[in-house]
Amino acid sequence: MSASERLFSPMRAFEHPVTTTVTIAVASSLLLAPLVIEGLARIGRITDARRRQLWVRWKSWMVMAPLMFGAILIGAAWTIAGIGLLSLLCYREYARATGLFREKAISLTIVLGITLVTLATLDNWYRLFMALTPLTIVMILTVALLADRPQGYIQRSALGVLGFVLFGHGLGHLGHLANDQNYRPLILMVLVSSEMNNIVGYILGKRIGYPLLPQTNPAKTLTNVLCGLILTTGLVMILGQSVFRGTVLASWQHLMGLGILISVSGQLGDLMFSSIKRDLGIKDFDVTVPGHGGLLDRFDSIVPISAIVFHYVNYFVGVGVGEPVRIWTSRG
Amino acid sequence: MDDWKYKPAGDLGLPHHEAFKSLKRENGLIATAMHWIWWSFVRAYLNLWHNLKVEGRENLPKDPPFVLVANHCSHLDALVLAAPLDLRLRDQIFPIAAGDVFFTNPAISAFAALMLNALPMWRKRCGPHALAELKQRLIQEPCCYILFPEGQRSRTGEMLPFKAGLGMMLAGTSVPVIPCYLKGCFEALRPETRWPVRHPIQIRIGKAITFESVPNTRSGWEQVATELQTAVKGLGTEQHPVA
Repeated sequence: MSASERLFSPMRAFEHPVTTTVTIAVASSLLLAPLVIEGLARIGRITDARRRQLWVRWKSWMVMAPLMFGAILIGAAWTIAGIGLLSLLCYREYARATGLFREKAISLTIVLGITLVTLATLDNWYRLFMALTPLTIVMILTVALLADRPQGYIQRSALGVLGFVLFGHGLGHLGHLANDQNYRPLILMVLVSSEMNNIVGYILGKRIGYPLLPQTNPAKTLTNVLCGLILTTGLVMILGQSVFRGTVLASWQHLMGLGILISVSGQLGDLMFSSIKRDLGIKDFDVTVPGHGGLLDRFDSIVPISAIVFHYVNYFVGVGVGEPVRIWTSRG
Repeated sequence: MDDWKYKPAGDLGLPHHEAFKSLKRENGLIATAMHWIWWSFVRAYLNLWHNLKVEGRENLPKDPPFVLVANHCSHLDALVLAAPLDLRLRDQIFPIAAGDVFFTNPAISAFAALMLNALPMWRKRCGPHALAELKQRLIQEPCCYILFPEGQRSRTGEMLPFKAGLGMMLAGTSVPVIPCYLKGCFEALRPETRWPVRHPIQIRIGKAITFESVPNTRSGWEQVATELQTAVKGLGTEQHPVA
């Protein structure tokens, strides 16, 4: 597959069995969900309020899932652009929640940083991608300085650095996975397995087990963390066998390691953003996604997962091996 | 060491169509960029098409808070009043617009919020709570308001009596109020016409007035309205000195 085919062509979208399986499984789940919701309501297993909430959530998924799958299936360029947009929107929610959005120069620097990260990813220019983090941090610290307001300098520059590291650098790694020939099954596996944590948490709620960090998130109990860990790791081990076939990562030890990392980092991401919300005194980051809150409430666990999966895969088998680098900017 | 203080956006948690109408709406990067583009265009348009002349520019305060008040006879008025203000203040200048005209249709309210940076005043249900909220924002943020105390556009070009509601916001505060007189706006865009015609427009900016010693009572509010009405009317007469 050439670079332009990977970036722009949907012709080989269903070449990999994991892509086909995950797409069919998610589409079927979404189609069957209304029957399940109504069935549970009819036999009295869920309250009317819960039923209404599930319907709102289902409607939101009916918009989000086609957008996510659509971008991944039609080409890596759309995947990278979509993740770049997601990073910008997540940063927007974070900035509005922390008040950083009032620092226009810092926000503009971060938006430019995220845009450049996305362009470097589209170009498959890994060195620039990595260099942009220290460079943007220096720019944030410099721009924060130019206001000539020493009072609050640490707070506004630290909030800016954290915002860029989480959404520019962190989520940017998910985009960089799209520079691999095998990016469709790989990204879909990451997305569905991280969702497995959330689904387990949502189903079990805070009814079973004691909360691990009750002040941060009372719903995160030891039981649902362990259930999430077992189910997510199991899912990664099943899908990973096919995604990494013929590489060292296809061994059960490596896949179990990857599954544990995805589950643990996803749950940590959830807790990190819960802690940010508690610190700010807000319930949700926004109301962009009905039934879920903001985009950041939905995709919080993906932020740490992205970098961890990228470097795990990159360490053992490499990401984008054999793909041309600097697709647009190299002279030769 | 003090704890860090976070202040989430005033309109956090509101859907877009509600945020546009909120008196707590705050501007992000997109709104700021839109304001710059829009107000640069408005300035160019007013200068080229209406040959805008500004008298008494030196009376404009450099920094917020302040309130500009003027006679109201055309939809161009808010644009003309905001045009001479420093572009640096674009995000802090809020024309107070009729809620029932500018904030009922989603597309128009998006335009009013994102381009004009307007805040709504609901004429038929504007209670003391809304005015108190506007007053609090004016002082605490601080920001600048563009207000038309007549409460509606004059259909004849003649100035209408100023409403006392303005006094509720200003009595007992040290916020400078700048009286302005708009000349030519009525001829440039009459109430019965849709599009502006080429006609010169002039804005006369008077000296700032404060109402710190005026009691925050009904009689005080009426005093504020009367003083401002006299000041604006005075600017309308040719002989009245601007500075």
